[in-house]
Amino acid sequence: MSGLASRLYRGEAGLQIVERRKLWFGVAGGVVLLAILSLVLIGFKPGIEFSGGNQFQVPVAAGSLADVETAIDNAVKDADPGATMVPAQQIGDAVYLIRTSALDDAQTKAVKESVAKALNLDVKSISDDRVSPQWGEQVTQQALLGLGIFLLVVTAYLVIRFEWRMAAAAVASLIFDLVATAAVYSVVGFEVTPSTVIGFLTILGFALYDVVVVFDKVQENTRGITGSSTSTYAEAANLALNQTFMRSINTSLVALLPVGGLLFIGAGLLGAGTLKDLGLVLFIGMAMAVYSSLFFATPVLVWLKEMDPVIANHTQRVRARRASLGKTAAEVVPGQPVVAVGATSAPKAGAKPVRPAGRPATKRR
Amino acid sequence: MRPGRQLALLGAIFVILASLAWFGGKGGFSDRLAPQLGLDLVGGSRVTYKAVTQDGAPPKPEELEQARQIIQQRVDARGVAEAQVVTEGNDLIVVQVAKKAEDAIRDVGQASQLFFRKVIKVTDGGGAVAPAATPSAAPSASASAKPSTSAKPSASASASPKASGSGGGAAMASASPSASPAPSASASPAATPAADDTDVRVTPEQVQAKVGKAAWDAAKALTAVPTDAAQIVALKPFADLTPADVNALTTEMQFYVPQVSCDKLNKRITGAIATPDKQVVACQGQSKYLLDVAKVAGTDVDTATPQVEQGTSRRVVGLTFSGAGQDKWTNLTREAFQNTGDPKCDAGAVDESGRCAVAVVLDNKILSAPYIQGVLTDRSQITGDFDAKSAKELADGITYGSLAISFKQQATQTITATLGGEHLQAGLLAAGIGLLLVIIYSFFYYRLLGTVITLSLLLSAVLTFLALVVLGRTMGFTLSLAGIAGFIVSLGVAADSFVIYFERLKDEIREGRAPRSAVQRAWVRARRTILTANAISLLAAVVLYLVSTGAVAGFAFALGLATLIDLIVVFLFRYPIMALFARTDAFLSPRVSGLGRVLHEAKEAKA
Repeated sequence: MSGLASRLYRGEAGLQIVERRKLWFGVAGGVVLLAILSLVLIGFKPGIEFSGGNQFQVPVAAGSLADVETAIDNAVKDADPGATMVPAQQIGDAVYLIRTSALDDAQTKAVKESVAKALNLDVKSISDDRVSPQWGEQVTQQALLGLGIFLLVVTAYLVIRFEWRMAAAAVASLIFDLVATAAVYSVVGFEVTPSTVIGFLTILGFALYDVVVVFDKVQENTRGITGSSTSTYAEAANLALNQTFMRSINTSLVALLPVGGLLFIGAGLLGAGTLKDLGLVLFIGMAMAVYSSLFFATPVLVWLKEMDPVIANHTQRVRARRASLGKTAAEVVPGQPVVAVGATSAPKAGAKPVRPAGRPATKRR
Repeated sequence: MRPGRQLALLGAIFVILASLAWFGGKGGFSDRLAPQLGLDLVGGSRVTYKAVTQDGAPPKPEELEQARQIIQQRVDARGVAEAQVVTEGNDLIVVQVAKKAEDAIRDVGQASQLFFRKVIKVTDGGGAVAPAATPSAAPSASASAKPSTSAKPSASASASPKASGSGGGAAMASASPSASPAPSASASPAATPAADDTDVRVTPEQVQAKVGKAAWDAAKALTAVPTDAAQIVALKPFADLTPADVNALTTEMQFYVPQVSCDKLNKRITGAIATPDKQVVACQGQSKYLLDVAKVAGTDVDTATPQVEQGTSRRVVGLTFSGAGQDKWTNLTREAFQNTGDPKCDAGAVDESGRCAVAVVLDNKILSAPYIQGVLTDRSQITGDFDAKSAKELADGITYGSLAISFKQQATQTITATLGGEHLQAGLLAAGIGLLLVIIYSFFYYRLLGTVITLSLLLSAVLTFLALVVLGRTMGFTLSLAGIAGFIVSLGVAADSFVIYFERLKDEIREGRAPRSAVQRAWVRARRTILTANAISLLAAVVLYLVSTGAVAGFAFALGLATLIDLIVVFLFRYPIMALFARTDAFLSPRVSGLGRVLHEAKEAKA
């Protein structure tokens, strides 16, 4: 029963996450900087829902990719000499997907008919999509509206359920997730479609969900903390992180597994489309959410908390007390969450931190 | 701890949902238990229209709903069965037809145009003059009382009602009794045999090529409806034209060529006669009307309301016009009443006192064509043989036309049934794989407790499915690909409720509690966390559902539904089962519960 894994399993890994918050803030700052640079310099690659255009899907049974491409190209040029076409791609083993510039209804119908004729198909076996650029805009507008409303409502909820600093930290980590996910999309050049926007919105719920679970534990550990001077707020928060670490890992895994399945099926079997777009953005966003709930939300919370005079005073008091106790404590448990020892020895009435397990403190190592 | 109670409640919920699903439906096993699938899963077409108003603000909800009704009528008139026309958000109308690739719904979102046009000429539009005229599709039921040996449907279904019926002798304007205000009454049976090709624009040259030069020239030379047999025969090729071809003809040809029937005129594309400064041809029943330029438009109408006339208790439709509209209307009624104006009304188109009729034209249809009974300078009425329903329909029709609302097509989509099936398969496969991965993981990590997770996930799946069936039937919720994705994502959230609880349980046991009381204590603490966390998911789902449309809304709905069901399962299944489980000795065996290591440790610590 040793090693990091089992210590993690027991919630006793003693990872110094909050302590190293400068590092995490540095990482986050770097990511945000990169994101801004990338968004300004590269931007997004919009799907046809944002750029406007038509999309045809022709069954694979119709012939080779080249045949279909030629047939569509001819038909499109016939219908509208100025039209352009993106090279065709095969999706799974079912259909070819061909995208063109915007055509109107009559042109679309003409293209379908002439392709059907050229390839000897039933017109009804050809699917088409026509989207105006406003469509994507509208979806995005609503998404942003939704994002705004959600942030307001959820902040209110978190302030009531926890406190404003926790709400602020949670929302900050949420915004970090969104920015980081956007950055990945921009840097890698994944196509942005309305499905991506939907997935983006879903990250909202998930990211906060994760943070809330951690903060719930932090709240529990720090309740009445100012009443004793055994551990600082930062240490108690760090302990909460360690105690929920395994849960966070487990949750992330069980959440990412189905999304991974979605991505695998979406991309593998169907190529492009709703499933792939959703799967991809969810996978990236959830991975970001896992990172930020562990390494960003709580450090931000502690940083905010230490600006509170009450907590700052308390922290100083704890430090002063430690100093007066001499160097022994620090030497005996170097790098260990001192709070664990302290809490064991002096449980505060009404507080529910770690219960005295009846184990010798040395076992904790 | 009364696990029995919760389980009983869960059982009750299950039974209620299942019976709602089973007894709410009809037909066989699979019909009763089939959820409504979106068209991306079964194939079909979908067109999204966005309302465009003059001031750019979203239209009023009533306006949007009226527009939806018009579009629904148009779709129905095309004989498209099971079309769904719904409003979404505050400015969208979505038309969708599942299962068949139907291009016919594409232009139904054209702006609805209402005009008041003077009736210049009237002729028969039954198309029966031509030897091989299109047999009217519906064999008249009354005619078949005769011996049924002749299988031929009688071509002239009930003598076409002449619109010239004597009016109600009304105070102001009287509708011809035959003016059936519901335009679909005559149009829909004719439209049933698939409205082909209605959305392809045809040029006059193409039509000319189709009918041949001789017939074209003959038609061009017409200045009156031909009565000469030779002349009619010369025009014979016009009988083969499609509605789209007919639309390419000049107004005169449409009116004078007898082979151009009302059936075809009615099926011209929506908006075919929407140009106000052009004379047009439209039908009422089987009568073809040549109509003057539109001198009053729907936007001039202020209100149109069904009323009961005082004194006589007849049903009428009252009209008021806006300021400038009133002047136009007064001028138009003067012109019609005195039959001045240019062109004058034909002798066949006036009533016995020599007054012209003014047709109320909505899109391609004449709603009503009352003779004008006076110069109307103030409130006006249309009278006739209305009942409450038909009066309301006419009033609504006029009101629709006065909407300052038009639609812009945002997206159209047709999905072939094969692709839809492929999507459905892929979605279900993804869901299955996700479920399997979570189950494997939970067995790996929580050993036998994985059974509890598996059972509750399966239970959630069954409850979700039943809820889908019921909601599909009652609320019209359709499961789309995005919805399936929503459920897949919620798998993670559902499984997380367990992780929170089990990790808590471990904490409690590690802290030295007996397993039995640990189950209880961990539950109390985990419950709070789970509620807080699920509240976030629920908030996200509700907000998304309220502000978004289409796929986003479907996704949000699925997410919200799954979260609710997760809460039900957590409270009514997982906790009672765990409580029962904790009473058994097996729970204490490390091999079985996956809590073994912590149990073992806790024991060691005690010793």
